[in-house]
Amino acid sequence: MSSEPIERRVSYIADKLRGSECTLCGRKYFKPRDYCGTCGRSSFGKMRNINFFYEKGVLEVCTIIRRATNKFKMLEPFIYGIISFGDIRVPGRLTDLIVRDEEEFNPSKFEGREVVARFRRRCSTGPVDIVPTSSLTFTFADEYYPYMEYKVFKPNRYADKPGIVAYGLYTSKFRIREGRMERSVPFLDEDAITAAVEAGKIALIQAAIEGELIKKIYVGSESNPYAVKPIASKVAQVLDLGEDIGDGVRGVDAIDTEFACKAATSMLKDAVALAKYMNDEGEDFYAMVIGADNSQAAPRWAPGGELDFFVGFGATAFIIGNRDVIAEIEGWYSCTSDTPDFWRRDGQKYPMHGGRFTGEPAYFKHIIKAARKLMDKMRLQPKDIDYFVPHQPNVRFPLKVAKRLGFKTEQCLPGLKVGNFGNLYSGSSPAGLIAVLDMAKPYEKILLVSYGSGAGSDAYLLTVTPQIIEKRRRTEKFNVEWQVKNPYLEYIDYNTYRKFKEGI
Amino acid sequence: MTIKPVIIGAGRTKFGEHYDKNPEELIEEAGLKALESAGIERKDLDAVFISDYFLQVTNKIGIEEGFISELLEVNIPMETLRSFSSALNCACNAIEAGRHEVVLVGGIEKMTDRLDKIRDDLMMLGDPWSYYAGGTPEAFHELMLRNYVKKYEIADEHYDKLMKALAYISFKNHEYGARNPLAHFYGRRISVEDVVRARKASRTILGLYDFAPISDGASAIVVVSSKAAGKYADEGVCITGRGSATDYISYFSRSIKCGFKATREASFKAFSEAGIEPSKIELAELYDQSTLMELVTLEDLGIYKPGTAWEHVYASYENGKLTYTVNGLENYVNTNGGLKADGNPLGATGGAQFHEIFNQLLERAGDRQVEFRSKNPYALVVEIEGFGTKSYVYILERWKP
Repeated sequence: MSSEPIERRVSYIADKLRGSECTLCGRKYFKPRDYCGTCGRSSFGKMRNINFFYEKGVLEVCTIIRRATNKFKMLEPFIYGIISFGDIRVPGRLTDLIVRDEEEFNPSKFEGREVVARFRRRCSTGPVDIVPTSSLTFTFADEYYPYMEYKVFKPNRYADKPGIVAYGLYTSKFRIREGRMERSVPFLDEDAITAAVEAGKIALIQAAIEGELIKKIYVGSESNPYAVKPIASKVAQVLDLGEDIGDGVRGVDAIDTEFACKAATSMLKDAVALAKYMNDEGEDFYAMVIGADNSQAAPRWAPGGELDFFVGFGATAFIIGNRDVIAEIEGWYSCTSDTPDFWRRDGQKYPMHGGRFTGEPAYFKHIIKAARKLMDKMRLQPKDIDYFVPHQPNVRFPLKVAKRLGFKTEQCLPGLKVGNFGNLYSGSSPAGLIAVLDMAKPYEKILLVSYGSGAGSDAYLLTVTPQIIEKRRRTEKFNVEWQVKNPYLEYIDYNTYRKFKEGI
Repeated sequence: MTIKPVIIGAGRTKFGEHYDKNPEELIEEAGLKALESAGIERKDLDAVFISDYFLQVTNKIGIEEGFISELLEVNIPMETLRSFSSALNCACNAIEAGRHEVVLVGGIEKMTDRLDKIRDDLMMLGDPWSYYAGGTPEAFHELMLRNYVKKYEIADEHYDKLMKALAYISFKNHEYGARNPLAHFYGRRISVEDVVRARKASRTILGLYDFAPISDGASAIVVVSSKAAGKYADEGVCITGRGSATDYISYFSRSIKCGFKATREASFKAFSEAGIEPSKIELAELYDQSTLMELVTLEDLGIYKPGTAWEHVYASYENGKLTYTVNGLENYVNTNGGLKADGNPLGATGGAQFHEIFNQLLERAGDRQVEFRSKNPYALVVEIEGFGTKSYVYILERWKP
């Protein structure tokens, strides 16, 4: 769509399936409206905002679209139908679904099944247009991405130190397997924006707090589809972060950051510092830190093509705050040097890679310095730490750096997920941290060290709290273990992977 | 005596692709034919109502009235509406109110000028929210069919019969269209198997032959007040009942999904106004944008009970008849070929329906002429805008001074 105002109005509603509910009679509507048809004028000003974004719907009827309209051509063939949420109905497209040519389409195979809304790119556009999005896109509630109830509780216990309140990892249903390595591949309608929203949504469900309590959102990415326009503003709008101050504007500070694979980890300390400051001021404060990437790699035969063996797709989200903390952040150390081992010039589609140069003077030097400095500062030895989670661009580097720092392989393996998801870039070491948080016991200590080309490292020391047990149960249906292995993963070949990466 | 609108002339172009012609050339041809058929001059006209669904989108033509004014070299009142039936409705209102006596109603569409974008445009205008979700024009019909099948629990061999009945509708309309020299598919007969094969080939629920084509074309009729009709003609077709109604733009949020509420409401008004029962209709021009639309409209009009039309249509297929049997009597539907075979240039489609009824009732339909069973037969036209968003029902009979 070439009209920005229309796009803004459509995505505002479609991204979250917004609607209204009459507070007099309880009648619901898809799409917000000012009065209820049953109660008439007496309901003016008495309509409540609702949404169907976290709900479970039912696919009532469906058909197959093999010849789509021009804007949906790239998604052909797909299944399209009507989804009901009680008495409310919306049109919708099923996504994450490859309709195999040899299969005969049988609508009754799909009709009557429960579905959940997924935030996706809506359709194709020209290269200069706004990227259209919507959640009129659904997947089955009992498959790869299970339905998880979003139930809000009042925040409770104050922690000694600010830390992680909740987390979420999102990787897609599709995988490419080459040798022993598996990598997460986006479906055609996914990108860094959609992954960021999905991860944030999962973190919010785990935190079980209202989005409006989150007053700062950082999104670190090196693969934003826009050169100029933040991902963070989209996340803030879809998840309704910050207080509603009218006219679709919210009281939240949103910012995108970029520093190759450390764009997100760098912001954790900023979030913690802000949380501490706001707590001292006597204000409840939460921040969300997302690392989201759908990094592109040149074809294997082209310069930069070596990255094509490692790029993954996904996003991680952390909610940082003072209350109901599941992992306190004890300390940190960051270091930087101007080391150009990986870069992408403005306007270029694919990044370049320094080859052999990315190892010793880049990855190893920075990670080792940051880790040692932090351990010295905290007066800790590798044996005092339970888990070591370094940045993971491949399987070899993390194990090597762990050994050189004096960690045992067992301390490193639980947080090593690159072999399952590929390199998640901004979400790479955070995904490792999430894998550890999924299984860690209270009071265990974790050393997280990210690495971003260009170059720098952020090292963090975290201590798990007893509250983690209850919290992680809320999102256990879509935990790391599930995302690593489940019956609904779909393995695709190299050509399909390249096509999916390019997207619509 | 109440004033009734009387159609005294009708004209149309051939429907199909008119690659070489501008929209104004098509409407000129249809208009001149209508005036000639009515035997009146352009200076006799009091007003013109024209319709086009989206000429502004396909041809970027803004003030259509200006083109007509320049063609006719008159400066009388003119208005543009979206469908032929809505234009005719305005003409009838004006005539019945005594405001105008002689009115030209015309319709025009030039869809093939924008063929590569036409389905996106149709969807955007038909229902933007279905479009945003990935819907296509065909998907509306297929989802309604799914709703129909589920609501009336049609399965197994009954489902196969329903699908055959739909295929037969397409076959029947092609059979008539093949005899209509002005139809998009003149001379193009198909078999029931062709319809079924096309569905299999595209591996979709409904196939190529279940849907009306994209056509260019124009149509026009001359409508006069019954008070003045005698001055211009010694026979005509009188509009004895009419009704129109609307429904939500979004199909998915409507209360009735196995047919069109708008048609049900409109036909109730039209039959009440005409003072007749649906069974009195001997010839109907229905809006078969798809084979399913002809089927559900038979139910919406009250000709068949909801959920049963397919059985009656299937019986016609079994008996090899080109008519539908109602209470043991034969009814003709879409003898011009329907939208399926005559063509569907949106703004002009309704004009072709009235053109057919006009010629049939006045026994001028050539080798498509039907044999009416009564001396004063009733005919009916249903025209729909969008996917059941608006519906117009007209009941017509012969008129003599």
